[in-house]
Amino acid sequence: MRTYIARRLLHGLLVLWLVSLAVFSLVRILPGDAVLMQLDQAAAPTPETLARARQELGLDRPFLEQYRTWMAGVVRGDLGHSLTSRRPVTQELLKRVSLTSHLAVMSMIIALLIALPIGVLAAVRQDTAGDYVGRLFAILGLSLPDFWLATVTITFLAIWFQWIPPIGFAPIWEDPGRNLSQLLIPAFIIGARLAAVSMRMTRSSLLEVLRQDYIVTARAKGNRERAVIVRHALKNAFIPVVTIIGQQFSVLLGGTVIVEFIFLQPGVGSLLLDAVQLRDYTLIQGAVLFFATVIVAMNLLVDLSYSWLDPRIRYR
Amino acid sequence: MKTSLSSLIVVSLFLAVSAAAAEDKTPTPFAYAAPAFIKELDTRYPAQPPVPPSPPRYGGVLHFPATVRAFDPTVGYRPELALVWDTLTEWEATWYFPDVQRTPVIRKTLATSWEMVNPSTWIFKLRQGVKFHNRPPVNGREMTAEDVKYSYELLKDKAQYSTRAALVKTIHVVDKYTVKFELTLPDPKFYLNVVDSLSPVIVPREAVEAPGGLAENPIGTGAFMLKDFVPGEGALLVRNPEYYLKDKDGRALPYVDAVRLIFTKDPATDMALFRTKQLDVMRLSTLDTLYALMKTVPDLQLYRVPSYGWGDYGVSMAVDKAPYNDVRVRQALSMAINRDIVAEVMNRGDAALYGPFPWALAGYTKRADYSYASLGPNYQYNARKARELLAAAGYPNGFDMDLEWAEFQGWTFNEFVQLVARFFGDVGVRVKLKQLETSTWLNRVAGVQPFSDTLAAASPIGAGPSFVDWVYLRYHSAFPRTVNRAGVGDPKLDDLLTTWRHDPGEKRPALQRAIWDHLRDKVYRITTIVPPHYRITQVYVHAGANPYCWFPGYCSYEAKTAWMTDKAPNRKFEKFAQ
Repeated sequence: MRTYIARRLLHGLLVLWLVSLAVFSLVRILPGDAVLMQLDQAAAPTPETLARARQELGLDRPFLEQYRTWMAGVVRGDLGHSLTSRRPVTQELLKRVSLTSHLAVMSMIIALLIALPIGVLAAVRQDTAGDYVGRLFAILGLSLPDFWLATVTITFLAIWFQWIPPIGFAPIWEDPGRNLSQLLIPAFIIGARLAAVSMRMTRSSLLEVLRQDYIVTARAKGNRERAVIVRHALKNAFIPVVTIIGQQFSVLLGGTVIVEFIFLQPGVGSLLLDAVQLRDYTLIQGAVLFFATVIVAMNLLVDLSYSWLDPRIRYR
Repeated sequence: MKTSLSSLIVVSLFLAVSAAAAEDKTPTPFAYAAPAFIKELDTRYPAQPPVPPSPPRYGGVLHFPATVRAFDPTVGYRPELALVWDTLTEWEATWYFPDVQRTPVIRKTLATSWEMVNPSTWIFKLRQGVKFHNRPPVNGREMTAEDVKYSYELLKDKAQYSTRAALVKTIHVVDKYTVKFELTLPDPKFYLNVVDSLSPVIVPREAVEAPGGLAENPIGTGAFMLKDFVPGEGALLVRNPEYYLKDKDGRALPYVDAVRLIFTKDPATDMALFRTKQLDVMRLSTLDTLYALMKTVPDLQLYRVPSYGWGDYGVSMAVDKAPYNDVRVRQALSMAINRDIVAEVMNRGDAALYGPFPWALAGYTKRADYSYASLGPNYQYNARKARELLAAAGYPNGFDMDLEWAEFQGWTFNEFVQLVARFFGDVGVRVKLKQLETSTWLNRVAGVQPFSDTLAAASPIGAGPSFVDWVYLRYHSAFPRTVNRAGVGDPKLDDLLTTWRHDPGEKRPALQRAIWDHLRDKVYRITTIVPPHYRITQVYVHAGANPYCWFPGYCSYEAKTAWMTDKAPNRKFEKFAQ
């Protein structure tokens, strides 16, 4: 097990290094740079002025030199300074990570609270009215885009109730009431879509497990149906569900940009999008490296959870 | 909804246009029936809004939308920075009214008077007793001529200020309250070029040199002090109790206790915020959104003013290569476009025609002047003449054209390029639409990267009513492509512009009209229409003794004179998130 974890960690580091190299190169292929993107439309700078501004930001230095400087900082935990705000990238990221984590965790909790009971019910009562309603919900969740649902929700909340979630993020430990009123609705919108995917996976996975011989044996031994489902079937059926949840959680960290925009809750995804639009190289690099780290860690956790769910799984 | 309705209109209108073209008749001018809504707006909301009641009420927190990445003028330009940092002078919010556009009103902020020694040397007298914000490390010390010299030397080479500051060669401190500017080129109207927040703002050296620079020490002489800045979310600025400007009755400014800037990115969110009274002032892009909002907020205050020139719809051409280097081709393409239909599709007909540069700069100061008659034949729809011109230029069967465009907040270029492509198609020009990623498009608009044939974009703008910004820099061949973005190299135009530049003022109106006539004949850029500005406020907001400003961001100094009645929401201002 320890060898496995050590090997995976080494693989993870290799992946992160490759990601750093790829993102560092790719952002510099994009046309334009931070100097140009910050200019007002009315500005009319000369090429000399632009060159001077690039020099100030160190964008005129050779590619390898820039990469070496940046990587040396990364190893020390310093992701550099944003080219547009001049603040430390770590500082910019931390605030957004807090918001994104709140939104992601809340969305995931809502998704699981919806998906697991409905998925289990749909599997246990296959082809009944309950199953059809659950599947209809799943199709709806998959069909309605987040941005549409968010736009409609905020518009009708404003028109009908003269209320929208408050502006300005407050962490849950500072002001739980404000935090919930800010994030509950966006989290529900994001969670509804996630729930649809998890619910379908739970249902199909559980259906497959319920047809296994050991379930027949458990029933033949006289176990109650609830015990058969909860103790024998559900845990084994969860392996693909956990995989999906792990993937969804990784996507959540960067994939809620539009909902973040609409509900004025800017997380890491919004930060990255802004950074790309402004060609803020250091910020893009920092944010992408953060995403990569989370995804590598999440994959490792998901893989390790398999052996807990199914003790027959061994790591070598 | 808007897109689908607009698409329907596009299809219907083009069926009509195509039928007319197929019959090869001179098409009748498109006569759109201006909706009753537009007529109602004309009646209910005249261009000059009513004078607010007096005296103003102190207190309240004004909310408006903005986008600021850094409160640091050394990093990047944003008009909202004018809340914290002052320029030597600034525009009064009156200059854009059609009837007064030629006589811009300048508010004397840090400078109280100026004198032209000769067109290359100017002396500015500074206001005495102006204090920087009372915060360490500056601690409310007095602003002096040394600060002006330091700020100009610090900022004049920054890309964001280069339009104006590049004109300054050296600055000398004459005494504690007097500075002398030596210019790179003679400019008898230099005082107009130190106006507006695109000019260098005055910053204290101690704050710039302190750890974290101005981003961590945002200290200026402005009406507001930055209290809380949350990147990506917003900012809270509180009243500077020692602000030096007074209103016309000698009352201290600003009236409001604080300004909260909310960094929004989605039009639906903006509207929801306005509906729930979390935004007090905002600007709308289209008549459709105005209509939708007025249905749910019927008591909103609207300021609907013809645009000076910002936000037009046009097409840039690669004028340095064939076929666009042939004036006949450019004229043909311009004539191929029916601007009435463009106005109808882009904004339900609520738009003005637009020429080579702002109408007012050519001496057209009445709304009635904004007509085809003032623009001449190159701007009137005439498909037959367009085909004749193309044939005369050697393209009887037309040619292939790439038309590049991008999505850009506040514009609907997707609809515009489809219209243009169909109009060009009617005269034989086969258009291939190429959508660009927005940042790439911005690079091409800014002249940093070349575009292949044509580019849908707004005209290069100026930051105020300055002819230098709008015309001189944009068309004189002495300037690089980042400034003269169309790459125009026209000796006759250069002569006109240079003569204008050296004229002390008497002949300037006539020269500006001559330049207008030259440009509308040569069609270096195809311009079409410009929608008006829809600036709305909640019923409880008044803009003090000054007329309303059309755009909260660009006239953010308006927050100095805005005030709110006792019907305004009671808001806290200890921190941004409250």
